[in-house]
Amino acid sequence: MLPILIIFLVLEALLWGWVLYRGFARSKWRVVGSCLAYHLLVPGAIVMMLPFYWMVATSLKDFESANQSPPTWLPIGTDYFAPPPPGFSDMAAEIEVDLPKTAGKSWEEVQSMDSVTVVSIERLGDTTAFYETPGSSLRRTRGPQWSNYVQAWMGPAKGNPDNPVTFSTYFKVSIITTVVATLGTLLTSILAAYAFAKISFPGREILFYLVLATMMVPGQVLLIPDFLILAGLPDLTFGLRWLDNYPALIVPWLASVFSIFLLRQFFMGIPDDLWDAAQIDGSSRFRYLWQIMVPLSKPALITAGIFIFLGEWNSLLWPLIVTTSPKMRTLMVGLQTFNEEMSGDFHLLMAAATIAILPVVIVFFFLQRFFVQAISRTGFK
Amino acid sequence: MANEPLKLAHYRSRDAFAAYSFLAPAGIILLVFWVLPVILSLLVSFTNWHGGDTVADVEWVGLKNYRMALEDPRFYKTLWNTLNYVLWSVPLTLIVSLGVALLLSVNIRGIHFFRTAFFLPYVTAWVAISIVWSYFFQQNFGLANYFIDILNESFGFGIERLKWLNEPRGVIEMALTGVGQRLGLLDPARQIDFQNPLLEGPSLAMFAIIITSVWRDAGYFMIIFLAGLQSIDTSFYEAAQIDGAGPVGRFRYITFPLLTPVTFFCLIIAMIGAFKVFVPMLIMTPRGGPSNSTMTLVYFLYDEGFMSWRLGYASAIAYVLFIIILAVTLLQNRLLGGRVHYQ
Repeated sequence: MLPILIIFLVLEALLWGWVLYRGFARSKWRVVGSCLAYHLLVPGAIVMMLPFYWMVATSLKDFESANQSPPTWLPIGTDYFAPPPPGFSDMAAEIEVDLPKTAGKSWEEVQSMDSVTVVSIERLGDTTAFYETPGSSLRRTRGPQWSNYVQAWMGPAKGNPDNPVTFSTYFKVSIITTVVATLGTLLTSILAAYAFAKISFPGREILFYLVLATMMVPGQVLLIPDFLILAGLPDLTFGLRWLDNYPALIVPWLASVFSIFLLRQFFMGIPDDLWDAAQIDGSSRFRYLWQIMVPLSKPALITAGIFIFLGEWNSLLWPLIVTTSPKMRTLMVGLQTFNEEMSGDFHLLMAAATIAILPVVIVFFFLQRFFVQAISRTGFK
Repeated sequence: MANEPLKLAHYRSRDAFAAYSFLAPAGIILLVFWVLPVILSLLVSFTNWHGGDTVADVEWVGLKNYRMALEDPRFYKTLWNTLNYVLWSVPLTLIVSLGVALLLSVNIRGIHFFRTAFFLPYVTAWVAISIVWSYFFQQNFGLANYFIDILNESFGFGIERLKWLNEPRGVIEMALTGVGQRLGLLDPARQIDFQNPLLEGPSLAMFAIIITSVWRDAGYFMIIFLAGLQSIDTSFYEAAQIDGAGPVGRFRYITFPLLTPVTFFCLIIAMIGAFKVFVPMLIMTPRGGPSNSTMTLVYFLYDEGFMSWRLGYASAIAYVLFIIILAVTLLQNRLLGGRVHYQ
């Protein structure tokens, strides 16, 4: 409790210092308002971040410290007594440690202590073992269990030697699916949006409203018929199957009405004079689209790309339905399977969840500006 | 240029050819995997198609699947669960996100930090975050019950540890029972039971999922609200200030009315999303949760379609979902559409 109290007091002191320093120059309401805002925002931000901290902290615990009540806040394993390793009794003749005094001390510190006769400290992987007096049990102080990540990465394969799939497989499938689907969807959307925005052709209005109408259809309605269509389609060339393969994961989602709509709006804002000039220079429509329109539309493309990427990467239901073999699991399906097979091993589950969340969080921190812009833009059609 | 009336015919046909070939890739995908399925789904919903069947085995059963749904208690349970989820999670999410957006629009320091903190949950995958929250709500060593313990120790509340994801009782019932017993109005042996799915509220298991969804989605709507707030012309506030309006008056008479288009947009998006919820239920409460109290429409569809392979029945459920979402969108347009245009 004490560290929390100290942090709280420091924050309050900072806030009031700032208010006293800057506040006199401002109106009364401003000062009260921003003080109130901080007192709500800081606890709010703590609540929002708590699950992330809890996830990472638990991912570094061992089974015992992840399953203890009351829970521990630190990302460490439990102190516990384990049976001595083979050959311990010979070695232990000279061992004499005052455990309470040595707890948490480094090997050098323990050696330099007067009242204890040490002895031997062994490092077993992540574990520092302090040996107790001869013949007695062995007490281990465990640090963060980084090996949880290795164990989680190995996935359910560890319990099932017949299915040697690890998170490497899941990442491979997810990255291929997401990259191909995102680029492919952007491509089809750019082409369609350009036709709707800049070319006049018979039936343009009707077709556009038809396309917009498909936005009303919830994707869940399509699950069964899309599955049946894919099951009924003949195999691709070279015996490439549709179901339980990349085509089923990617092809049905290669068109995005939202992206077409967004890009069309953006294209319509680009003046036609550019096309007139390009036409005089002998450019084809296709070349004009790629060399002039697309570079000019980067903000809209990034917006559309982010939504397609997030949707593909985080989707569970469709991959769950169309994939059956372990080697075709996407990251989300892999994580879901891992959750089913490892239920109860929360330290490993949290490590797996961290592994699954981390790439998107890293991408988010690099492209944060674009994420915020992308979402801000959707509110104002 | 493209719309000029005096154009030679062959240029126009060339334009049309270019347009159709540009539309073809997206058009074919939309036709095969969006338009055709809508029709196919309707047809399948009139049959008794079962997973292993070949087309020859399939029989036309007319409206039998829909009649079956109307007689299926599981279907009603699912419908009430979904409705409860929507009625609780949507207002909570919007209130929290609007509140945070208002606080951030006060123009305080560290807005970037807070915006990131509140938005970060939204980029995380539902699957991963559901696993984290199912640990949070774990009955024996989860943080949720630990916080109850802390409250009890610090303030002597004497609240029982809750079963969270294993608790099928409605939250309104539980709260009223708890308060009633504490005040001595209710016999300690008695539990309030309304026998009405909307009055008793979502089950505590569902409520835990609602908390999770508010935590995850609030940041998304906060960004939209923030953009809406920043687009309001500051001269309105200056005028109001001259007229002597306080902060509450400014919110009531300027911010809120000018924000209605954005609020309306958020409401529709949030409701449609909430009707389609599935992943947190699958992960946090496997097999429909305690007494099927977290089984939602999409979960039911998935369960009937791809676990039991009753494709006909599942298609009928999918169509019910489709009609509900369509009706909600149209109804909201009708009811609120006239009141949101201020520009």
